Amino acid sequence: MAGISSGLATNYIYACTRMRVRRSRLIPREDYLRMLNMSLPEITRFIGDTYYRSEIDELATSFSGINLVEVALSWNLAKEYQKILELMPGELKYFTASYLRRWDIQNVVTILRGKMQKMQLGKIKEVLVPAGRLDKVTLDRLLTEESPERVVEALRGEQIYPILERELPGAMETGSFARLENELYKSYYAQLIADAQAGIKGGKMFQKYILLEIDIRNIQNLFRLRAGHVREDVRELMIPGGSFPVEELQQFLVLEDRDEFIDALKKQVDALPLLNALEAIRGKERLREIEVALIRVQLDQMERMSKRYPFSVLPVLVYLEEKKYEVANLRALARGKEANLPGERLRDYLVM
Amino acid sequence: MALRDIKPTRSELIALKRRIKLSERGYNILKMKRDGLILEFFKVLQQAKESQGVLMERYTHAMEMIALAETVEGAIGVKAAAFSAAEIPAISVGSKNIMGVVVPEIEASSVRKSVLDRGYAMLGTSAVIDEAAEAFEDLLEAVIEAAEIETTMKRLLDEIESTKRRVNALEFKVIPELTEARDFIKMRLDEMEREELFRLKKIKARSA
Repeated sequence: MAGISSGLATNYIYACTRMRVRRSRLIPREDYLRMLNMSLPEITRFIGDTYYRSEIDELATSFSGINLVEVALSWNLAKEYQKILELMPGELKYFTASYLRRWDIQNVVTILRGKMQKMQLGKIKEVLVPAGRLDKVTLDRLLTEESPERVVEALRGEQIYPILERELPGAMETGSFARLENELYKSYYAQLIADAQAGIKGGKMFQKYILLEIDIRNIQNLFRLRAGHVREDVRELMIPGGSFPVEELQQFLVLEDRDEFIDALKKQVDALPLLNALEAIRGKERLREIEVALIRVQLDQMERMSKRYPFSVLPVLVYLEEKKYEVANLRALARGKEANLPGERLRDYLVM
Repeated sequence: MALRDIKPTRSELIALKRRIKLSERGYNILKMKRDGLILEFFKVLQQAKESQGVLMERYTHAMEMIALAETVEGAIGVKAAAFSAAEIPAISVGSKNIMGVVVPEIEASSVRKSVLDRGYAMLGTSAVIDEAAEAFEDLLEAVIEAAEIETTMKRLLDEIESTKRRVNALEFKVIPELTEARDFIKMRLDEMEREELFRLKKIKARSA
């Protein structure tokens, strides 16, 4: 059992087994395919018959239709993540909490944007997912703050505060939170690497996953930038710390030919599934298809790694990621049905 | 022009003949202009049909892409990305001349933007936002083109209508009236000449 404190071994086995059981309860691919042919009320009823029942029942008096589905899914995700955090022993809890901080970034940026656009508090609250360190109470408190500046001030002492304090004036001046958001995510990954390298047992496995995620995210962004014909200096937009140095990613971007670009990427990649995915991407034109293919590789790789290290943080991370995509898929299905999008079209946008 | 108001004089006849000649020349020119404008209109009509088709196609695509973006990123995510746009497209309206008709020439800048200039965060969004933004940039281009073509078509139609009215007025009102007046003066002058000749003959007969 690599990377586990001996005294906590039983707890680790228990926690990781619980994760595996929870994973087996996730909605399978066949059900998504069935849902593609259902109407929105049918999807709501289907979701209501699964482990989302309590949220659907609880919220049915306040919401209906698509809003009911969206809010119920977000509540369930947040609840599930918080339950998992409670369940985790020792270092697993440390790494899981560290990993879930990305939700803090998402929530804080949503609140800042909502405040900037003077949106109704209820509307902002509907899309918050209190799955990170900032719980429901803290997020509610942030929502009641008058201005983005006050929101940032209320976050003094949090890990993200220095970045927010540094970037907010620029964001307020330009009206764009792009740089602020990019910097927050970059610092998030830097912090994850630092946590993994802090000498805590199990850090090595955690770092392996972080590197995989950074690589996939950087490759996705390279495809996006190439599709947008960007050949400028984009080192600022790349997440440092992955297998590819940022300078190398910049060099990939300036390659004119798409095949040449994919070949160059393939030369630097060792993992066979990623190599296969890159080869399959060669024939794909649509960005979302490329993105979904890479997410699929990421999930497959995570699963392989979690099998190699069954009692590490990896089974937990696999479950967290798959749960995230389950919620995203259900939301996409519900929203897509509401917008009368054909099932065939929606299928491309699901991570199955 | 009532015939009783016309002075049956030789100078009036000359003036009328000049006016008839001028009206006929104007009539021919206006008729040619009307035909030219109609030809031009049919060309623009074809372009308008094509641009309407493109506009509808791009509109459908853009609406589908925004719906898909909302399915993946949620309504707030899409709205946040849209509000991030730092540079708003600028439109300048010039003009060009088609057979004397002044039509607009619309030029737009910053419609198509690179991913970096759109203002949203690369690390906080997914590719669906790029696809939706691109679809709306395409749509905006089509809207601008359609606006230019449709305004051109409208102006051409107005001009054809007014030219047609002028041609008809010349053909059925001005030229016939002038011709009638000319004929009337000619007849009066002939009559006056005959009267004069008869008077002279009478005087000659009395004096002889």
